[in-house]
Formats: sequence, C-alpha cells, structure tokens
Amino acid sequence: MTITRRAVLGLPLALAAMTGIAHAQGGPIKVGVPIPLSGPAALYGEPALKGAQMFVDELNKAGGVLGRKIELIVRDSKATPDEAVRVAREMILKENVDFLVGTLTSAEGPAVSTIAKENKIILIAPIPKTDQLVAPKNLHPYIFRTASNTTIEGRTAAEIIAKWTDVKRVATIAHDYAYGQDVAKEFAAHIKKLRPDIEVVDQAWPKLGEADYTPFINAQMSKKPDAIFSAMWGGHFVTWAKQAKPLGMFDAVKNRVVNGGEAGSVEATRALGAEYPFGIIANSYDLPTYKDQPATHKAYIERIKAFTKEDPPSSWPIMMYVAMQFLTEGIKKAGAVDSDKVSAALKGMTIQTPFGPQTIRAKDQQADRGEFYGEMIKGPAGAAVMKDAAYIDPKPFMD
Amino acid sequence: MPPLTPTLSPCKGRARGEGGSGGFFVLSQLPDFTLLLGQLRSGLTTAMFLFLIASGLSLIFGVLKIINFAHGSLYMIGAYVAWHLVHYFVGNSFFGFWFAVLVAASVVGVIGALVERLLLRHMYKREELYQLLFTYALVLVFADACKYIWGTQPVSVQRPDVLAGYMTLFDVRLPYYDTMIIFIGLAIAGGFWLLLNRTSFGRIIRAAALDREMLGALGTNVSGLYTGMFVLASFLAGLSGALVTPIKGIAPGLDVDIIIEVFIVVVIGGLGSVWGTLFGSLAYGITLALGILIQPRFSIVAAFILMAVVLVIRPWCRTQLQALAYGVPVTFGFLFLMLGTPAGIIAGLAVIAICALLIFAPQLMRRRASP
Repeated sequence: MTITRRAVLGLPLALAAMTGIAHAQGGPIKVGVPIPLSGPAALYGEPALKGAQMFVDELNKAGGVLGRKIELIVRDSKATPDEAVRVAREMILKENVDFLVGTLTSAEGPAVSTIAKENKIILIAPIPKTDQLVAPKNLHPYIFRTASNTTIEGRTAAEIIAKWTDVKRVATIAHDYAYGQDVAKEFAAHIKKLRPDIEVVDQAWPKLGEADYTPFINAQMSKKPDAIFSAMWGGHFVTWAKQAKPLGMFDAVKNRVVNGGEAGSVEATRALGAEYPFGIIANSYDLPTYKDQPATHKAYIERIKAFTKEDPPSSWPIMMYVAMQFLTEGIKKAGAVDSDKVSAALKGMTIQTPFGPQTIRAKDQQADRGEFYGEMIKGPAGAAVMKDAAYIDPKPFMD
Repeated sequence: MPPLTPTLSPCKGRARGEGGSGGFFVLSQLPDFTLLLGQLRSGLTTAMFLFLIASGLSLIFGVLKIINFAHGSLYMIGAYVAWHLVHYFVGNSFFGFWFAVLVAASVVGVIGALVERLLLRHMYKREELYQLLFTYALVLVFADACKYIWGTQPVSVQRPDVLAGYMTLFDVRLPYYDTMIIFIGLAIAGGFWLLLNRTSFGRIIRAAALDREMLGALGTNVSGLYTGMFVLASFLAGLSGALVTPIKGIAPGLDVDIIIEVFIVVVIGGLGSVWGTLFGSLAYGITLALGILIQPRFSIVAAFILMAVVLVIRPWCRTQLQALAYGVPVTFGFLFLMLGTPAGIIAGLAVIAICALLIFAPQLMRRRASP
C-alpha cells in the first residue's frame, strides 16, 4: 500500500474516532489534576496528589464507579495561574478529561474555575482557601470546593481567642497577599463581633517569602498584645517561629498564639523539632491520631502510611482524597459521567469522609470543612504534638 | 483604652502614652526609645545577613562582570548541605555546627569551581543577555537538583545550645546568634578591605576589574584569578546559607526569595563595590525596620522606593555613599507622604524638599557658574 497524503492526514482522525468509540464503550473516566509539582508549592502538591492516587487505586481495585475505572491525568501547574489554566485547557481539549480535581494556591483556583465554566466541566478545588473562589459573583454550576476557606479559618481562630477572657489586645501577622489578607481581615472582623472589648492593636503584613521577620516581631511586641493570631504557613512559619522565640515573643504573650496555616501539621513539627514554640494553639488538616477518632480515620491513616511509606504520614493527602471521594459519590448519585448531572448531585450532598460526615452546601458549593486545632506540646520524641486535638466544626459560624 | 498588664511587657519598657493602632508615627509623639533600638537591632541583623550573601555577588560582578542569578542557589545549597551534615552526621553541638558550616561553605566553593571551570568561562565573551539567561538556567537546574536530593519538606537546624540565649542591652534583647552574625559580617567586610587594599593579590583583583586583557598581557594568570574569585564568592554564598539555617526554615524557594533582595542591595550599593554593598545592606535593613513603623502595609515598597531614589539621584551625587545618605531620608519622606495625613504630607514634603535642595543646588550653581 502506498502512503498517500490523504492517508497520513486521515490517520489522526481515524485514531480519534477509535478512541472516541473506546470512550463510549466504558473506558476509564478521566480526571484531570492540575497541581504544582515543581517549585516551592510542590511541597504540598506532591503529598496532596498521593491522596488522590491512593483513592483511585483503591477504587479501581474495588471495581471503579458505574463499572468504569478512574484514570488520573496529572499535570504540573507550577503554582502559577497561567500555567494552571494552560494545562487545564490542554487536558480538556487533548485528553478529553471528564472532570477536573486540583489546583493548590488561591491564585490558581479562581483562574481554573473560569476554564471549568467555559467548558462546562466540573472543577473540585481541594485546597485553595480564598473566599473569592465561590463568592456569589464568581459562582457557577461547575465549581465546588472541598477545602476550608479563609472565612472559616479566620473565624475559628477568633472563636478560640474570644474565649480567653483576660485578653484585651490582639495582634495579627499574615503575609501580604490574597490568603494572608483575607484570613487576617476575617479574623479581625469576627473577633470584634464576638468581643467588642478587644482591641486589634497591630496587623503586621510581611511580604511572602520574607527572609527576616525580626523587624515585624519587634514592632508588634511594642504594641503589647495579649494574644496573637498568625497565618504564617509552611517554611515561613518555621522561619517566623525561629526568629520570634529568642526575641521573647511567645513568652510575652504567654504562648497565647493561635496559628492558622497548618502550623500543627507533621511537616511543621518535624521541621522545627525541639525549637517548636510549645504551648501555642495550631491547626492541621489531618493528624496521625486524635481523641475519639472514628475507625474510618484510623484505617485511612494505616493505608496512607503504607501507600506513602511515611510515618507519621503527611497531613495533605486527605485533601485530595476527600475531593476525589466527593467526585466519585457525585458520579454514583448522578448515575452518569456528565458534569451537569454530577453538579446537580453534588449540591447539598453529604458523604462519609475518613474523619466524619462532610456536606457540600447547595447555596455556595462550599464544603463545611473545618480543621483540627489544639495546643502544641512537647511529644515523647522531642517534636511537638497536638494535645487534645479537636476537629472544630465551622457550621455554627459559617454565613 | 484598656490598661496594660505589666507581666505581658516583652521588655521592661519605660512609661509612655498609648500609641493606638495607627502606628506610633503620629509625628506629635516621638517613638519609644526601646522600640527604636529594637528596630535598629533588627535592621542591623537583616543588613548583615544580606551583606554576607551580597558581598559574593558584588565581587563576581565587580571582577567577572557577570550578573550571577545562581548566587541564591549556591546559598540554598549551602543551607541544605549544612542541614544534612548536622542532621545525619555531626549533630548541633557548638563544634558540630561550626564544622558543618565550614564544610558546607567549602562544598559550595567546590561547586563554584566546577561551574566556573566547566561552564561559565565559555560565557565571558558572550553578550550580557546570554550570560543572564545562562545563570538563570543554573537557578532552575540547582533548584531541581536540591528538590531531588533533599525533597520538598521544610527542614531547619537548631541553634547550638551555647548560642540559643540572648543578652539584654538598654532593655533590648540581643539574641546571641544574631549578635554573632553581626560580628561575622563586620569581620568579613574588614577582611575584604584588607584583601583588596593591603595585599598584592588585592591589587591584581582591582586591576582585573579595570582591564582584564592588559593584566593578562602583563603575565598574570587571569583565568586562574577568575576561578579563584568565583570560588571565593561561592564559598561566601555557601557560608551565609549555612549560617542562616538556625534562624530560617529551609525549603524550595529559598534561592529565589533571597536573590531579589540581594540584587536590590547590590544595586543601591553601586555594583561591584564591597563597601558599597555593606552600606547598601545597612540602608536596606534600616529602611525596612524603621519603614514598617510608618507604613506597616508597605514593607516591600520601602525597599523599592529606596532603590528607585538612589538610582535617580546617583548621577547628581559624587559618590554612591552620598546617594545612599540622601536616598534613605528621601525614602522616609515618601513613606510619610503616603500616610496621607496633613502632618504626614507636610513632613514628607519637607524632608524631600530639603534633600532635593542639598542634592541639586550645588550642581545647578556650579552649572550656572561655568561659562
């Protein structure tokens, strides 16, 4: 057979037709995952992705959903909105993904949400916290968030500090960008509502990636706060805590610091070791163990330990695990691999996650996701552990 | 206003009026002396760290005429190697820590030698743009190599017990470690001065900065000198990276975070001068530390205003130091101006006007006097 130009041109079409047929015949359900796998944000992108991979492995072994397996198509979003949008488009157009589950930063989430809207493909955002993502003006049927958000985090911290009756002066420190600003402002607004007698005496706004926090710490201490809300996270929290400790900041406020930004996660406690500012209240998405944990969580921890070969396991896999769980349950309930039907199914849906029931609210397509909070004390191995960790349910103070 | 609880005071501050949440700079009221001293201490620490890193970058630019973007990467490698040694081998006793610091700096020096000998030397005759792109490529390669070797989780080194405490001076806490860094920074500045001005090797370095070909023609091994300079600069980068481990979390991104600040310092210090770099770091540190007292929201802006002002007024000043000396008050003038209050605007305009007069008047008069 001679190869004609027409044959060459026709080949991709034929292939496309064949894959199309395979698709219709019940090939895998394709889920596109835009997630940062390079650069600093890979710190969280990598462990988070493992949660999705474990979920899919387990699901496929058990026969999949609607008799079909799930296939993850993973792309590095490089933690920038441009790249996240580019890979999301590419996955929709070239890979024909049926759904998107991913994005990590508060810049990526809203950017990819517009792509989801354009293409009428569901995006479940497992991690971005900015309130903007599902604010009324940005809401559309194809965006769902299973992460906590800045309102929940800021208000939770305010609820904790409001209970310390002798606290009259509070200060905040948060990075000067979307997440930091939103969470610190929400905190300040909520604490004033709960305790009108409390004065917010200082709000420090270092830039993201600040190498030296000592000028900020020193200036803040001079305002003599009784308690501090901090939204330092990841390596930034490590740096801030290491610099604040010798300056006596934690002693000055008698350790009455509530730290958001997952400062209670194993990643942070491992990094700081014995230098952790013991006595502060910190939060975490997940914990290796906590009081009254349900059997499902215990089992999940054992599985994720084995899957990631890490002990204690990272606190991030649960985020993508739960997002994938929501998607699968949505598909099951809708009985179809169709974004419109799954969207309708997801609204108001409650599922049993490893740590208990979670609901995606119908009105803003936001899950009622709280976090674990507790006092950080010196553990048996020298590193900090969370004492009396409690899952703080945000339902009572969500709008 | 609720009364202060004395037990909560971080340092036994003297009695003073309540500043309220608007920041202390209401202009009607002078800032607390203890607070100012504390900020100066912070500014000085910031400055010395930046100087440690920036001195190497400035040296490379001065002699090799290359803008080395990868300098921040060498700093990050120094930090990771030091952590690796402390964590897996020597522990964080005083001697263990110093051993790790010196070995880490040396390892980075060797990496610097390899980079210069094998790669960078082919770039000297290329256009600046290619050199810039090349060192930027190194940033990406090193970042991924670090991620591959040490993973993505943040790590950190504990301060050795001896250095963990602090002393108190005028009611201001001076952590031992920060104080040590200030002295190391000053020692390195002094060492540089001796090297450049009091040794024959220093003379050769200065000559290489002026005219590389002539120096070669006079029989000096210029290529060896270049390697030596690059190794020295890399050693300094590694040293500062290793020294920063006890006060900073080490995680991917350390390289890019620092390089911008260091570039600002090198630019405002006048490219390629060690003294300039020292004063540039001091100006940066002080502007940051005192600037946030006026404008807490614009800590980043202050540094960039400083850079812009220094670059604009530099042609009107005789020395870089003079440009810096005027640049810092002008920056504060702008920060006052941005307060937007009548007092702030008046004070800001006054400071800027006085500085402008001092800078431009002599020049204009000289110009008029000349035929």
